[in-house]
Amino acid sequence: MLKIKNKKNAAGNILQKKKVSRRDFLKMSGAVAVSVAGAMSAKEVFADKKPLSGKRLAMVLDLQRCTGCGGCIISCKNENNLQEGATWSYKKSTTAGKFPNVRYDYIPTLCNHCEKPPCVEVCPTSARHKADGDIVAQEPELCIGCLACMEACPYEGVIYFNEEETHRFWRDRKALIKGCTDSPEDVSKDVKGRVVPYYNPDREQNKKGSGLRRKGIVEKCTFCDHRVKKGKLPYCVMRCPAEARIFGDLNDPNSKVNQVIGKYRPMRLKEHLGTEPKVFYVRNYNPAVYKKSVGSL
Amino acid sequence: MDIAKKKLSRRAFMKTAAATGVVATVAYNLKPVLRAFAATDKPLFAASGEWKATTCQGCTSWCSVEVYVVDGRAVKVRGNANSKVNGKASCPRSHMALQQVYDPDRIKLPMKRTNPKKGRNEDPGFVPISWDEALNTVADKIMELRNNNETHKYMLMRGRYSYMRDIIYDRMTKIIGSPNNISHSAICAEAEKFGSYYTEGLWGYRQYDIKNARYVLLWGADPVSANRQVSYYLSEWGDMLDRAEVAVVDPRFSATATKADEWLPIKPGEDGALASAFAHVILTNGLWYKDFVGDFDKDSPVKEFIPKKRILEEFTLKGEVNKKLTFQEKYTYGLIKWWNVELKDKTPEWAAKITGISVEQIKRVAIGFAKAAPHAICWVGGGPSMQVRGCYGAMATHALNGLVGSVDNLGGTLKANKEYTGKFPKPDSFMDEIAKKGKKHKKMDHRGTKEFPALKKGKPGSGVVTNRVADAILDKDPNEIKVVIAYMNNFPFSCPGTERWEKALSKIPFTVHITTHAAEFTWFADIVLPSTHHMFEKWGYVKSHGNAYRHVTLLKPVTDLVWDIRTDESEIPWLLAEKLSDRGFDNLLMHYMEYKDPETGKSPANEKEFALYALKYVTRNLWDPKEYKGGDKLSGWKDFTARGVWNSDPYHYRARWGKMKTKTKKFEFYSETLKAALTQHAEKYKTSIDKIMSLCKYQARGDKAFMPHYEEPFVWGRKSEFPFQLVDYKSRLNREGRSANCTWYQELKDIDPGDEAWDDVAKINSVDASKVGIKNGDKIKLISKIGEIECTAKLWEGVRPGTVAKCYGQGHWAYGKVAAKKFGKVARGGNNNTIIPADYDRLSGSSAFYALTRVKIVKL
Repeated sequence: MLKIKNKKNAAGNILQKKKVSRRDFLKMSGAVAVSVAGAMSAKEVFADKKPLSGKRLAMVLDLQRCTGCGGCIISCKNENNLQEGATWSYKKSTTAGKFPNVRYDYIPTLCNHCEKPPCVEVCPTSARHKADGDIVAQEPELCIGCLACMEACPYEGVIYFNEEETHRFWRDRKALIKGCTDSPEDVSKDVKGRVVPYYNPDREQNKKGSGLRRKGIVEKCTFCDHRVKKGKLPYCVMRCPAEARIFGDLNDPNSKVNQVIGKYRPMRLKEHLGTEPKVFYVRNYNPAVYKKSVGSL
Repeated sequence: MDIAKKKLSRRAFMKTAAATGVVATVAYNLKPVLRAFAATDKPLFAASGEWKATTCQGCTSWCSVEVYVVDGRAVKVRGNANSKVNGKASCPRSHMALQQVYDPDRIKLPMKRTNPKKGRNEDPGFVPISWDEALNTVADKIMELRNNNETHKYMLMRGRYSYMRDIIYDRMTKIIGSPNNISHSAICAEAEKFGSYYTEGLWGYRQYDIKNARYVLLWGADPVSANRQVSYYLSEWGDMLDRAEVAVVDPRFSATATKADEWLPIKPGEDGALASAFAHVILTNGLWYKDFVGDFDKDSPVKEFIPKKRILEEFTLKGEVNKKLTFQEKYTYGLIKWWNVELKDKTPEWAAKITGISVEQIKRVAIGFAKAAPHAICWVGGGPSMQVRGCYGAMATHALNGLVGSVDNLGGTLKANKEYTGKFPKPDSFMDEIAKKGKKHKKMDHRGTKEFPALKKGKPGSGVVTNRVADAILDKDPNEIKVVIAYMNNFPFSCPGTERWEKALSKIPFTVHITTHAAEFTWFADIVLPSTHHMFEKWGYVKSHGNAYRHVTLLKPVTDLVWDIRTDESEIPWLLAEKLSDRGFDNLLMHYMEYKDPETGKSPANEKEFALYALKYVTRNLWDPKEYKGGDKLSGWKDFTARGVWNSDPYHYRARWGKMKTKTKKFEFYSETLKAALTQHAEKYKTSIDKIMSLCKYQARGDKAFMPHYEEPFVWGRKSEFPFQLVDYKSRLNREGRSANCTWYQELKDIDPGDEAWDDVAKINSVDASKVGIKNGDKIKLISKIGEIECTAKLWEGVRPGTVAKCYGQGHWAYGKVAAKKFGKVARGGNNNTIIPADYDRLSGSSAFYALTRVKIVKL
């Protein structure tokens, strides 16, 4: 049976656990080397129709509306064709206190699309770059899998490294009951999917390598660039059953995101590091009331 | 290129890159690589897809959804904005349907068993066969029963169903000639319905008007996680918290408790005590809702409820002869009797000792709840109901809605709105002598026997006792069963006491399983018929209610059918009817031919037409403008299928006040309705109600049996030997026990508070863990009086000391290669139902899941 590794919280650990071997590294870089001859400007690589230029896109997460259901995580995996174990949208949950005074905290997490992203600073190939809309974008074809971004990013679990060939689950050729069930690979072929039977073609948008990302590179939330470019909200925003995710332009003083962070004091993750995240959190997961009391000695 | 040739470590490379600005250099040189990729990486899909309406049956919320279909292939799922119940909201489990429909482990064609031996440890040796061979075999077996006049030895078992069910469940069983159509309902939550039926005459699940509520008090219900209307409640919960105070009664810190103002971590099974104490506090504080309940007579010498003091039901004024009622009830019945027999002594101090909830919290919650009357919801879930004496827990908790007048009221508990679907043609004229004789035999589930009153809707013996069937098969009582057809059920996994089912199914000579997956039930089947998936591949409809509306939502084939599979409730019975007709018995086919297309008047000519016509036939009142009765106005069948859903008219609040379907037409605190049902049952066996109560394990005697009241939990196992009480509950990712083969389920299992990804954990309070020497992550066994399972220990503060909380859903030893650790051999984690004993709330017929299992923990 196919083993599926769960790499939750392991984003940072990969760096410790698996150093990219010299040989691997040379392979990747070798590919790069071949390319010298036909050099073209990077601008063309990232050519957009620029409907987003001048925008500073941000997400506000209303924790009171959030029910901790995980719908964002699954729908993100669905929209972006993420392989088993990979997450771009995730969460941190903790249970605190002692019975019966127990509290559960839950915050959805994703790439913070920092105004000052350390990952962009360190990326040697500009695979990680600022794109229109101030999106911290990731160009799969430029990534060489050096993992510098993962090391530089102060946030856990928002960048995922494709250590092995992706979607191994769906590339398996073994059937459970011979002659009666299909192998995962055959299912995908049967339904004319692409590796993944429920493969979402909209993720590609004619941008090579972004529908399914290859082995040896990192991947992460792109604020659903393929959707926002077409004027659609990110998929997690659309699928959150509680409408706890609000998306919009910080440069527009009247945008909903500005209205909400104007009303509630927002929290951002690791704000002290000066990365200026554009993912904001407002209100409390549980705004419970309690009976007025000054306590006692 | 320099950097390619340099033998740099990754770390060194990064340093260099950052320091020297290699970044730009590399980037500008990359484009040709892109070109190279471009040549081999053409986009495979030119056009975008289309959203098509259908229904999610991942749980019994039955949300109307839309599926994003690209070239006949399902890609995404979202809520159907046309629905007034769930609207565009869809819960996390809805997306997992994609991993179900395209699960590699789905059975793609019919199979037959080659190993004649049946048992948990016998590999069935399934091999593929044609539909022809499969159905011929099944038809031969049915004809054999008919030729031998033993059609009662045929049984149909139902699991997840749509309202197309009657085709296979009712009509087919009757026309073949058997009384044995057994539904899964009693392992769902029938005891919950008992609570509302014997107080307000409503046999059904309530909807909760949280948009207008000011207090929400939940009992063993976890609506942001599981059942019912999860999507709708997810969409409203955060906003509701601004308006309403929320208190959750649950031994476990549930997902809903994490988003509530108060958690009342009650000792398992003591809900009735807390409910009676709440009622006591409400009455003694004068907080009952007078517009619904009424008030003391203005002339009555007694004007208040005083703890421990009886109140005379009647009084006589000085100088008058006629007696007057002390308390003039408006829309309720029996308040003073209830007070005298049950409530007067149920003080918060009394309840605190029993429930483990402090006196202060009992008073605070009871008063807060009652002060919000009538916009105060008392939300009764499976927790207090699905226990051995749970019907009274359901009554005791539900009765609080009567006290605060929230029944049928704005911001309260509502019944389902009216809908206008029809019925399939009657089978009677197609039942021949064999069938009529066969059907007269007793049902296999023991309903209506002295020990199993199963008082559904006031009629003894009308409710199902699903889980009893395993014992009935083993004991051949009332008779043996020779042929079984079962669909979308998995009783050896979903029923408590799983081992009995493994033994029982091993004894049945011929079993057919209609299923999407090789489930635990399938393991014992002779013929396996692969079923379509409800959301993507099937015609059908379901009705569901929430948000003060009811919707009727269509199940539609929205994707291309790729495999050799058929629809459980329509196509397969038609195909079988054809085979029976080939063998000279055409009654079933003739009956099915009556399901004519309302638009053309044509009889179905094949299974595909039958599936469609049957649906059009039965839903006609909703879509045919000529038959319009109410709710959404649709212009025709095409309109209905495009929208995917019909919505009812808005709710009429308080319409049932004084017109409830109880004996007294009122909300009964003293249930004349239950008294009549119990009397009828006792008379049938020429015995007393007290004796019936005793036989059925209840403690109440006399009038108490007709009232909401506290019963001590009935528990299997002594505390000295089994120190912990098992708290079983449902996952927010469970698609009714069918999603464990989805990788998304396993990856995100920790979305259930306290749980872990890819694991099955028993959550134990740290106080207990240190007592028994268990550490976080230890592999452990949970052992009850009837069985044992292996799982992982998790120290978690969200469980009451003395209890072990464990989610239902894992522990599959079949179903697929993800669900099972080793398919057919080793389970992933442990199935709670292996250690929960098969016991019942006998008045409702329900299986008990809660507060009956004591366990010990053994470290492996």
